[in-house]
Amino acid sequence: MASLDTNDVLVARKAYNAGLVQEVSKERAYWFPAIVLALLLLLPLLQFTGNYNYLIHLVLFTASYVVMASGWNILGGFTGYISLGHNVFFAVGGYFAGMIFARYGISTIILAPFAGLVAGLLGYLIGQITLRVRGPSFIISSLALVMIFRILFENWEFVGGAAGVSLKANDLPVQWAKLPYYYAFVLMAAFSVWAAYRIKHSKFGLGLRAISKDEIKAESAGINTRFYKTLAFAISAFFVGMAGAVWGEYLTYIRPNIFLIILVSVNMVLICILGGKGTIAGPVIGAVLLVAFNEFFVATLGASEINILATGLIMMICLMFFPLGIVGTLARLRKLPRILNWD
Amino acid sequence: MLEVKSLSKHFGGIQAVDKCSFVAERGKITALIGPNGAGKTTAFNCISRTMAPSAGEIRLDGRRIDTLRPYQVTAAGLSRTFQISRNLADMTVLENVICQSKIHGWRDLFRPAMSAEEIDKAFGILEFLGITRIANEDGSNLSYGQKKLMDLAALLMSDPKIILLDEPAGGVNPTLLEEIIGHIRKLNEQGLTVLIVEHNMDLIMRLSHRVVVMAHGRVIADGSPDEVRENPDVLDAYLGGALEEAA
Repeated sequence: MASLDTNDVLVARKAYNAGLVQEVSKERAYWFPAIVLALLLLLPLLQFTGNYNYLIHLVLFTASYVVMASGWNILGGFTGYISLGHNVFFAVGGYFAGMIFARYGISTIILAPFAGLVAGLLGYLIGQITLRVRGPSFIISSLALVMIFRILFENWEFVGGAAGVSLKANDLPVQWAKLPYYYAFVLMAAFSVWAAYRIKHSKFGLGLRAISKDEIKAESAGINTRFYKTLAFAISAFFVGMAGAVWGEYLTYIRPNIFLIILVSVNMVLICILGGKGTIAGPVIGAVLLVAFNEFFVATLGASEINILATGLIMMICLMFFPLGIVGTLARLRKLPRILNWD
Repeated sequence: MLEVKSLSKHFGGIQAVDKCSFVAERGKITALIGPNGAGKTTAFNCISRTMAPSAGEIRLDGRRIDTLRPYQVTAAGLSRTFQISRNLADMTVLENVICQSKIHGWRDLFRPAMSAEEIDKAFGILEFLGITRIANEDGSNLSYGQKKLMDLAALLMSDPKIILLDEPAGGVNPTLLEEIIGHIRKLNEQGLTVLIVEHNMDLIMRLSHRVVVMAHGRVIADGSPDEVRENPDVLDAYLGGALEEAA
């Protein structure tokens, strides 16, 4: 050992580190999401050959859930705070942008980032209060939030109460009418996945992961846990609010019973659990599967209650075999196909 | 220098720590000992602000730290380990260690999680502790002793002025115990102030410069290991057992 110079140790360590970094990046496949994004951006060209409005709608719908689930994942997956009340931010974003659109005619696509900021700010304030408790208490506080906002919006005359407000549809020919929203959602989905990746690999993300494992340890490690988790709450509300903004104009109306139903927030949770909480690709895979299951059973079993039952059953079977979600479990077993490794 | 002045903590009607005062001098190893239930760990928790003290004052280099939040105490230069090793599962040892690296301002939050300098520094610490080979192991796959060493490594990552070790020898085999004693001594020689809570008298008597003995939440003796060993109150508190055996 005496002959081994300290410099040799340093050199060896550097080489070892470099090897590790390379190994990780070799496993990742950034090209796959990039190609998917490119294909989705070109997809509307199909409209020249026939009417593919249904397909466009399905991709748009999936993309909207990717935005919301990726946002939810920042709080629920990275930080470990399960919220069942994130549709509140969906509603706040939708109403903020929808009301401005109804009054001043500014497109909600332009307003979306601002609607996100409003939702984020509200998330920050709400987080200051509700993030003091964790576990079941936090889940219940998030459910209470939905009820509070439902009552608020149903009785607030300015935003139309329970009847809501109808918004003007755009005057593009039917074949192109969906496209502005389609592009908005696909780009927002790409942005949210990219942002989730950046957050996960930042100091902030490392801190969030520490909080989700052991909050007391994280705090004693020098992490300002209260600020970290409140910021995570705000960022996740931002994405959900942004999705809500465009969703309202796409549907051409804003009404409490589309935004403030528990199904919307449960879907965000299910998508993340199905795809893999705390992973980057998880919310995307989960959203694709959830929408696919739904559509498949609606097509085969009809739009009755049976299709919801069947979707639920399939999800239960999935979770029996993939307890950490599809991406999470495969990664744990080291069987994750390279094309799904975006983490 | 860490100064604890008439620190008290009660849980409902139980007075766990009762007007406790002692000093951990700079560059020295101070040990906090006492029979089970003496209030050592509670005092420890109050010092690191994991718990809020009911009354009293704690100063680190003259600055009051009992009014700070736990993460601010760590930033002020006081880091601790936990009696039962608290590690972050699903994170590698390297991530566990780098997690404790200091963060300056909000802009730092969105930098890459592990910079090259931090990785180098962390590997340096892991090398010092002789656990480089487990750097990429998942934190939850470690043995008990490895977890203790990882805790120590994470502690050093935050450049502390003083470290608080809660039973570093608890449940550790004799070989590793020698290793840990060696590490603590070496760190102390490099100028690090150490405060230890420990049951292992052998470790205390060999390592510490000063021993503070607690019983029923009070400090009953304070002095060099030899002085404390001779103190009748201390022998009484231990019911005339452990210390004589150790000696």
